[in-house]
Amino acid sequence: MIESLFNPGSVAVVGASEVPLKWGTYIASNILDGKFNGRFYPVNPNVPEVFGYKTYPSLLDIPEPVDLVFITTPSKTIMHILQDCIEKGITNIVMITSGFSETGKEGAMLENDIVALAQSRGLHIVGPNTMGIVNTHCSLYATGTITRPKPGGISIIAQSGNLGFQILEWARSQNIGISKFVGSGNEAVLKIEDYLEYYKSDSETKVILMYIEGIDDGKSFVEIAKNTSLKKPIIALKAGRTEIGSKAAASHTGALAGSYSVFKGVVQQTGIVLAESPKELLSLSAAFDSFPLPKGNRIGIVTLGGGWGVITADECVERGLLIPELPQSIVEELDKRLPPFWSRGNPVDLVGQPDFQIFKDAVELMVANDAFDVVIVLGIIGAKVFALRAAESILNLGKMEKSIYDDFMKSLNVLEKEFLDRLTELMAIYNKPIVTVSFSKSFEDETIHDCGGRFKCVIYDTPEEAVLCVAKMYNYYNYVTKRSMVYA
Amino acid sequence: MREILNQAIAKRQKALSEFDSKQLMKMAGIPVSRNYLAKSKEEALDYAQKLGFPVVLKGCSDTLTHKTELGMVKLKLKTKEDVANAYDEITGKGIPLDGVLVQEWLDGDNREFVLGSIKDPQFGPCVMFGLGGVFTEALQDVSFRVAPITSIDAYEMMDELRTKKLLGPFRGSPAVDKEMLARALVGLSELINTYEEIAEIDINPIIINGDKPVAVDALVILKQ
Repeated sequence: MIESLFNPGSVAVVGASEVPLKWGTYIASNILDGKFNGRFYPVNPNVPEVFGYKTYPSLLDIPEPVDLVFITTPSKTIMHILQDCIEKGITNIVMITSGFSETGKEGAMLENDIVALAQSRGLHIVGPNTMGIVNTHCSLYATGTITRPKPGGISIIAQSGNLGFQILEWARSQNIGISKFVGSGNEAVLKIEDYLEYYKSDSETKVILMYIEGIDDGKSFVEIAKNTSLKKPIIALKAGRTEIGSKAAASHTGALAGSYSVFKGVVQQTGIVLAESPKELLSLSAAFDSFPLPKGNRIGIVTLGGGWGVITADECVERGLLIPELPQSIVEELDKRLPPFWSRGNPVDLVGQPDFQIFKDAVELMVANDAFDVVIVLGIIGAKVFALRAAESILNLGKMEKSIYDDFMKSLNVLEKEFLDRLTELMAIYNKPIVTVSFSKSFEDETIHDCGGRFKCVIYDTPEEAVLCVAKMYNYYNYVTKRSMVYA
Repeated sequence: MREILNQAIAKRQKALSEFDSKQLMKMAGIPVSRNYLAKSKEEALDYAQKLGFPVVLKGCSDTLTHKTELGMVKLKLKTKEDVANAYDEITGKGIPLDGVLVQEWLDGDNREFVLGSIKDPQFGPCVMFGLGGVFTEALQDVSFRVAPITSIDAYEMMDELRTKKLLGPFRGSPAVDKEMLARALVGLSELINTYEEIAEIDINPIIINGDKPVAVDALVILKQ
């Protein structure tokens, strides 16, 4: 039902302006500078034009149909503008305006009036008090704070404006593709579960991200979330973990039922992947968006040094993942290439040889083998930094030409890129995740390596982050397979 | 079930007595200890014989809380004389009672679990499963789900406990019959999802007799 809201052919901005520090300016300039693929109508009775577009005194003066209206003018103007919407047959509205239930009793009464009108006239209203919406696929960037991630498969529902912005900005800076975004604001009319239902059926959405503060209709949320999880993963961060349970509880059960413990149950029941922090929310979404799902919990580890391998194996076991023994066939293959003292076990320690070819071969042997469902690659990515630092010292001491140093750096970057390209190919061939952890990432290094294939490489900073993502992907896989066997 | 609830509501009760609570639990598919409500000493003796010694006697009323602290629970009574004395003691405290509950004595194996339900302000009726007995609140090893649940959910709840090893073979005791627990959880979830006059339920403890879980106490609190 709200499909048209996210895919408008034409938009109007009530309160559009060129004056800095106004929401009407932010929204209008973001839509225009973001190169929206549709018609744009500014509504403002006080100026003749906005950013070169002719303004209209009211919505009713626009000669053509309008699919979606953004309202940025003060709350006292709202009811009048909604009447104009009704008269013009506009049902999709994004209410940026604040000053409603979040401010007190008077605002709450006005919000109730809006709800009543929306219900009787079938208006779809986002907000009020929302930071806006995004649909990258029609290049509609209509948020008040401007950040424009590229198109992709992740769709976001944020019950907080600044957290929503943080997620979008992170996606932009890490070059992660986003499909839709909505800041749900006060959820006077459209609720978190309505957006979830829409994302469930939206073919452009592959992974759903939610930042949750509160849910009004828990029962319907649970039903929709359950059905959605069977189709695509939902990753959620919940605020209010430490809130204590209802003090009026009369039973022992009541005393144990802090709202977060109930929410944790909801998460298990609906298959939602729970993130414990904003950082985790982001790394999980990158993982679900980039990797094939692991079809089992047997992990093969390839490492550039012993210590990291052991730590990663510990992390795996603690999260319910298995570290099977290294199959004899792989031992024999690697015997041919490694010095005789190598460990001959899983984790496979490539005894400090930062050689991309040996890593490529070892990873392929592991990923191709039925003994493993996931391969974690530690330390070859980022190892270039050590070679470069050594070269840099020689350069600084005047014993190396700058051009030789530059060529050396370029060739290392090429080798690293080729290695990551190969990993994405291997993932596509074997349909198993290959997860990399970087030894040392420099500032400009990428987090996501996307060479246009079906899967992408995520380069994690730490083994624990990588293992956490693998474990949660495996849990999700389990949730879905257990239930699809029953419902199939 | 409706009848038990309606009668309690008509009498403006805040809760159901242990006897009524257990009746309701039994109808919902939760295994409960066998018991009878005796209105006289003679009845108590008859029921004890019917159940076979030893038995447990408890004062029974919908207003009675903290039974143990009030000396209203007499465990493992082995003879007719023990039963008669316990009956006199319970009824002699001047506390109004519906009667005296005569319950079979079941040997447990120290493993105790808890089943329960609450109404969450956001998600509505929820079921709980966890480690029961005296350590319930200290360890808070529990798992919640929104009602109704499926049997897959029930098994996942059991798997979620930190102390889930207690459900397996433990110190000479066999593994707990998980299927029976799963049925109990599903049944409880359907009960609270259907009867909206139920506010909260405590079934604590569920003891393990052989490999069978059995509820030996239950409390249904009604919506006010």
